[in-house]
Amino acid sequence: MSEFICETRNLAIGYEKKRLAEEISLGARKGEILTLIGPNGAGKSTLLKTLAGQLAPLGGVVLLDEKDLSAHSGRERAQKMALMLPHTRPTELTSCFEFVSAGRTPYTGRLGILSEVDRQQVQAALALVGAEELADRDFNCISDGQRQRILLARAICQQPEVLLLDEPTSFLDVKGKIELLTILQKLAKERQVAVVVSLHELDMAQKISDFVICVSPEKVSSVMTPQQAFAPENIRTLYGLTAEQYEAVFGPEPTPKPQQDTQKPKPKFEHYIRSGQKLLRCGYTTGTCAALGAAGAARLLLTGHEPETVALRTPKGIVVEVAPLYCRKTGLGAVCAIEKDGGDDVDVTTGLPVLAEVELTPEPGVTIRGGTGVGRVTKPGLDQPVGEAAINHVPRRMIADALAAEAENAGYLGGFVVTVSIEGGEEVAKRTFNPHIGVEGGLSVLGTSGIVEPMSQQAILDTIQLEMNQAALCPQEVKRLILAPGNYGLDCLHETYPEFADIPVVKTSNFIGDTMDMAAASGFAEVLLVGHVGKLCKLAGGIMNTHSHTADCRTELFCAHAALCGAGREICTALMNAATTDACLEILDKAGLRAPVLESLLSAVQIHLDRRAAEKFKVGAVLFSNQHGPLGQTRTAEELLKKWSVN
Amino acid sequence: MTSRKRLIFSYSILAAALAVLFGCSLFWGSVNLTPGAVLDVLLSRGSDSLTENIVLQLRLPRAVMAVLLGAALSAAGYLLQTFFANPIAGPFVMGVSSGAKLAVALTMVVFLERGLLTNSVTLIFAAFVGAMAAMAFVLVVARRVERMSILVICGVMIGYICTAITDIVVAFAQDSNIVNLHNWSQGSFSGMTWGNVRAAAVVVLPALAAAFLLSKPMAAYQMGEAYAKSVGVNVRGFSVVLVLLSSLLAACVTAFAGPISFVGIAVPHLVRQLLRSAKPLYVLPGCCLGGAAFCLLCDLIARSLFAPTELSISSVTAVFGAPVVIWLLVRRGQEGRG
Repeated sequence: MSEFICETRNLAIGYEKKRLAEEISLGARKGEILTLIGPNGAGKSTLLKTLAGQLAPLGGVVLLDEKDLSAHSGRERAQKMALMLPHTRPTELTSCFEFVSAGRTPYTGRLGILSEVDRQQVQAALALVGAEELADRDFNCISDGQRQRILLARAICQQPEVLLLDEPTSFLDVKGKIELLTILQKLAKERQVAVVVSLHELDMAQKISDFVICVSPEKVSSVMTPQQAFAPENIRTLYGLTAEQYEAVFGPEPTPKPQQDTQKPKPKFEHYIRSGQKLLRCGYTTGTCAALGAAGAARLLLTGHEPETVALRTPKGIVVEVAPLYCRKTGLGAVCAIEKDGGDDVDVTTGLPVLAEVELTPEPGVTIRGGTGVGRVTKPGLDQPVGEAAINHVPRRMIADALAAEAENAGYLGGFVVTVSIEGGEEVAKRTFNPHIGVEGGLSVLGTSGIVEPMSQQAILDTIQLEMNQAALCPQEVKRLILAPGNYGLDCLHETYPEFADIPVVKTSNFIGDTMDMAAASGFAEVLLVGHVGKLCKLAGGIMNTHSHTADCRTELFCAHAALCGAGREICTALMNAATTDACLEILDKAGLRAPVLESLLSAVQIHLDRRAAEKFKVGAVLFSNQHGPLGQTRTAEELLKKWSVN
Repeated sequence: MTSRKRLIFSYSILAAALAVLFGCSLFWGSVNLTPGAVLDVLLSRGSDSLTENIVLQLRLPRAVMAVLLGAALSAAGYLLQTFFANPIAGPFVMGVSSGAKLAVALTMVVFLERGLLTNSVTLIFAAFVGAMAAMAFVLVVARRVERMSILVICGVMIGYICTAITDIVVAFAQDSNIVNLHNWSQGSFSGMTWGNVRAAAVVVLPALAAAFLLSKPMAAYQMGEAYAKSVGVNVRGFSVVLVLLSSLLAACVTAFAGPISFVGIAVPHLVRQLLRSAKPLYVLPGCCLGGAAFCLLCDLIARSLFAPTELSISSVTAVFGAPVVIWLLVRRGQEGRG
């Protein structure tokens, strides 16, 4: 059985004299919204009309429920498929109820007299679009927004499995558009209708689409994910926009780059980002692998079918669909293996099979265990408590979500026990920092976004330079700038000082020194560095690139400054062996040394900052921690904060 | 919008009007008869042969014919309005009646010159051919123009051309029956025989029944051709049947009573307003009742207003019908702006 309720095979569309597009292969699944985007006149309406059987295909076939569309009788087709077109013909003396009831045409008898069931369906459709109170109003005397809803109700009471809509949001105000699209989402998710809709509002299309097809005068794309379709470059090409035109409306292009060629066989993960002039393929994390494996094994157990592919939406929003290496039943459950793919960011884990073995338990809930090749937490301060498998909370949630989805699809009410293991993980882990940070016996299952974005150093520096250039263009009396390695400290700062919202921010990533040099070149006068203690404490040692590949020294610095403040050997040893800076802070708290040690560290930070700034600008640093919140600021930072909050 | 009460009420009014007017046309005329005398004739209770002749051979067939043709005409109008999605479409305005008229006039003249008598079947056939020819022309134009008003103007122009040719034909015809032809070409219900009535009934009644059976696809078609297709209506087949039926009905009327203007527009419109509905299922029967009553009334006025001189039926229908059309045009214009 095909997964698509409505699909095309090698379809060619157009009119007798004008062939618009060829080789269209698309499919719409129940419960999903497939959006057509593209410029006017490119053929969106023609495609929809061909799907609806209003226009005969010039080649290929449209299949509705696995049967050639033209082989359905008109009535049969109308019971499965409804088409909502812009209404143009004026009506006369027709109440909205009567108008909607036209949707029952495929179900009524010779004379079209409504039965009680028909009436109920009409009422239900009116209720679904929230237009019950319009039932007795004349269709000509209602607003555009109401009219679109009535048109939609008419299509709904046809009880279609496939709903085709041609620009249903034209002529609506924002509220009307949102209301209409919300109803579409409801139809797809609650009634399992396959919705195919053409839209002009890209922002809204991006929000509601499960999949997207780009219709340009040159060609009709294959089915794309929203991330691929709405990537700036794709949109620019599709609508023929210049970079300036694009930016005028959508703002500067973010770095992710769409793939142009989407017609490869689907199990390969194809998502690209731009890095300088190069195109780098993204990969997916070990956490994504574990969740995919769990889903595959669970599906085998619950449905008895070995899945050809498994898919999930990563926290980043990108859908990853891959074919498992294998998926088979074991003594107690089933095991499914997914190959780790780091994309162009080849790291030690790339190519390793991540295995998820799933067993069913009667009581609901998901238990996650670490098997061979997955490390165990041995030091406090990490994402998981000591003794647990080194599977971070985000991958754990992804696994639980994936299993919940499989259970729901299969109508299964019990729970799961998942054992994640990585073949060869133990060997490989010796080459990582894992033993050093407190994970032993294997790799960590990590990833907060589910996706690995490869980035070369130069690419990052280019990106920072770009941001810096934009920040320099901000009109300011005194040129002020906030630098932040990540988002965390920034959010805290903006909460405490909402008036800083106008000051431009540049993300430094790990390249704090390089970014400061750029700030000097751009002529900034006052710079505030805001970030997590784990990164910024490295500045106390003059480490201006905070990536752990370059140098670490965090615990060493804490240890040294504690010793300066009179800490004994025992405390120094504990600090030296701590896994994270948060753990260090806890040790200092216990010893009552936090304030002096931080002060000592901060003054060291200030010295190194001043040295790098070389009197080109005033610079200070503000430190935060995940667990302890604001920790303190350097001398100049204090000065700047005071000055900035005055005006 | 249409309650069951309103439907029953409206149909009752139309039926009552029809009955009263039917009665009036029997005992009203150049010779006034008492209702009693008419009843006597109808119930075959021995009456004088003159009264019997007037009622049975003149007035009764004429009244029945007015009923049949009135129903046919307004139904034809309603079908065309649905097909063209235009409330001022109608057999007369679109030139269909005039086309039929021309064909009938030509046939009559040709037959008369050869000393033949034309029978009903020949006339209906000729009218149908003429109507289809005019209709074909209108359809060709309809493909090329977007605006309905232009289509209507084209229809009116075709009407003028056909009328002009008919007039020329009539002017050069040389028979003594020319008077009849002249009367006919103005439109009249006079001189109907039972034979005519039978022939008309055989055509009109099945055609009306067929039209009624089309009410469901018609309702879908009212919402647009594409929409009708999407709910499974075979639009091509439906259009062909609709055009054929409306032409046949209009042709039949023209064959017997000549071109009658405005009934096809005014009656469907008035009926829609009376019923407060545009549903073909309700409107079509209403049109038949209303059209019949309207034609009876107009015929009554035509022959009694300046009796014994008879007016042409179109002069009367135009007086009542044309204002309705003007009103529709004005309202449509306002809607277009608003």
